[in-house]
Amino acid sequence: MDTRTDIPAVELDGVTKEFADFTAVYELNLAIGENTFFALLGPSGCGKTTTLRMIGGFEDPTTGVIRLHGEDVTGQKPYQRPVNTVFQSYALFPHLTIFENVAFGLRRRGVEDAEVKRRVNEMLELVQLTPFIKRKPKQLSGGQQQRVALARALVNHPRVLLLDEPLGALDLKLRKEMQIELKRIQQEVGITFIHVTHDQEEAMTMADVIAVMHQGRIERMGEPTEIYEDPRTAFVAGFLGASNMMSVTVVDRGSGAVALNGGTRLHIDPSKLDGGDGTVRVGVRPEKLRIYPIDEVSLPPNVLQGTVTDASFIGVSTHYLVEADHIGEIAVVAQNLDDHHHRPGDPVKVGWLPQHCFVVA
Amino acid sequence: MTVELAPPPPGRSAAADRAETRRRRVPYLLLAPGLVWLFIFYVIPLFQLLRMALTTGNLQAGYVFDWVWENFTQVFTTYQPQLLRSLVFALATTMITLLIAYPLAYAIAFRGGRYQSLFLLLLLMPLLFPFLMRTLAWRIILADQGVVVQTLQNIGLLPSNGRLLATGWAVVAGLVYNFLPFMALPIYVSLEKIDNRLIEAANDLYSTPFTAFRKVTLPLSMPGVISGSLLTMIPAAGDYVNVELLGNPQQAMMGNVVQNKFLNIIDYPAAAAISFTLMVAIVILVLVYVRSVGTEDLVA
Repeated sequence: MDTRTDIPAVELDGVTKEFADFTAVYELNLAIGENTFFALLGPSGCGKTTTLRMIGGFEDPTTGVIRLHGEDVTGQKPYQRPVNTVFQSYALFPHLTIFENVAFGLRRRGVEDAEVKRRVNEMLELVQLTPFIKRKPKQLSGGQQQRVALARALVNHPRVLLLDEPLGALDLKLRKEMQIELKRIQQEVGITFIHVTHDQEEAMTMADVIAVMHQGRIERMGEPTEIYEDPRTAFVAGFLGASNMMSVTVVDRGSGAVALNGGTRLHIDPSKLDGGDGTVRVGVRPEKLRIYPIDEVSLPPNVLQGTVTDASFIGVSTHYLVEADHIGEIAVVAQNLDDHHHRPGDPVKVGWLPQHCFVVA
Repeated sequence: MTVELAPPPPGRSAAADRAETRRRRVPYLLLAPGLVWLFIFYVIPLFQLLRMALTTGNLQAGYVFDWVWENFTQVFTTYQPQLLRSLVFALATTMITLLIAYPLAYAIAFRGGRYQSLFLLLLLMPLLFPFLMRTLAWRIILADQGVVVQTLQNIGLLPSNGRLLATGWAVVAGLVYNFLPFMALPIYVSLEKIDNRLIEAANDLYSTPFTAFRKVTLPLSMPGVISGSLLTMIPAAGDYVNVELLGNPQQAMMGNVVQNKFLNIIDYPAAAAISFTLMVAIVILVLVYVRSVGTEDLVA
């Protein structure tokens, strides 16, 4: 991301936010590049919304500095910042028409009437709401209200757009559509979006960069594939998709050989063992595992033996639960490529490649 | 709709028709008790009042209905000052009460925190004491030797021989005091309902706190302002107790005239004509007020 511009669009420098009885955000350092779709991901109470509200100016940090395009905006009021927000549950003005809702920011800045009309109409076209211009917010569906909220913020050409769980109130199908729509609009208008969500799939679908927050800190930040493949902490591994975790003892750091409790040898990428002590926790994603008949001979380096306890056919894949020796139940997602359907009770082998293992702190 | 291809089976259709008729009748059945009540205790008395206003006679000799329009014309001749005063006092009371009640309700709704209920209780507390007692207390507050008059005289806002009691100011002060809770409560309710995120959204869209108030909070609280104003203006226009206790006959309002005609002079036709005229005048006043404040842009 550093290649796009030298000065980050948003920069948080040692930002801490304390409330009366708890610390919501702790010593946060964060730099978000120009034109980035950035997702702040985490469970409720992790501090992601507080972080967003501090960028928007709705909360002042207890300590630390917030910069927008290099300019220190700490302590500036929301109406002084070149930032707009799409609020959770939209916060549309119920007494104004859709047109006046979208025109609100332009009018406050004294943009002249003809220009307001032109820009609002243009924006309503972008979000496909032109026919509803004279309606009141209550007369629109949730998805339409969501798009009004987006238009109301974007029409001001903010340098950064903040989105606070914008899709939370929509049903699944609409949410999927809006995810693609939001991504398209972000690319079209070319400004930085900071998107707060607790939905990991939503974050991964849209974001260029994801920061996973936990208890007021950023646990892991990076491109979606990067943090999915190498989550580094047990929390991130568990929050971003499913994973099978196991404790292993390092046998030979140089070759990446480790041993399970019962002595079974496994192999992992030696570079990931840096700093790993005698015992480390390793994980592997269910879809990285392959399931084999018990008599299969051509197997990958890491193999476990076990018994199928559950098999559910999803269509595109089959989800297995396998009771493996020494580690308990592991989840396997198998692509339906061949005719091997294993049934509960079948003895099987489960294998994977060393590079698909990750190590968590 | 789709085209009906064949008539529905006759047996079912009749049952369905009956159900349909019954369903359509339900709202009227539910309304009936209220309508009967309104008819007996509102429409009939109103009609009688109008009829009485057009009669002539007295209690001893009896009243004769004779299309006597003089009862009405004297409202606009003999009692024109009282009629005008009623409307002016009612308007002034509404305006002053609004100016006091809005900031009060705003403070309770947005700054009251966990003491909101306590503040509301304090606001309503005076209503626990009899109306007459409270109004009489104002005689002491506004008395010639009282603190208020002395202070106003000392700072020169009132001449040294000036007084408040028995003036229009005292009457309006009493009215404002008595109707304050009725103005403040509806405003509080409508302010309290406003989602704080709307204010944040306005701030986010380049509104200073004052602009956010003017463009979002104030319009959204208008339903409360209007109902509070009606609850103040209508009874204030017909009030007679405040004049009786705090004013003097020079400040007589229509309510005093009606009271006098009904209870002292026993001139029922004149009293009826005045009441009827006052009612119409209040309705017009209210309509003009609601129109000028503007309800079209409001959401319920």
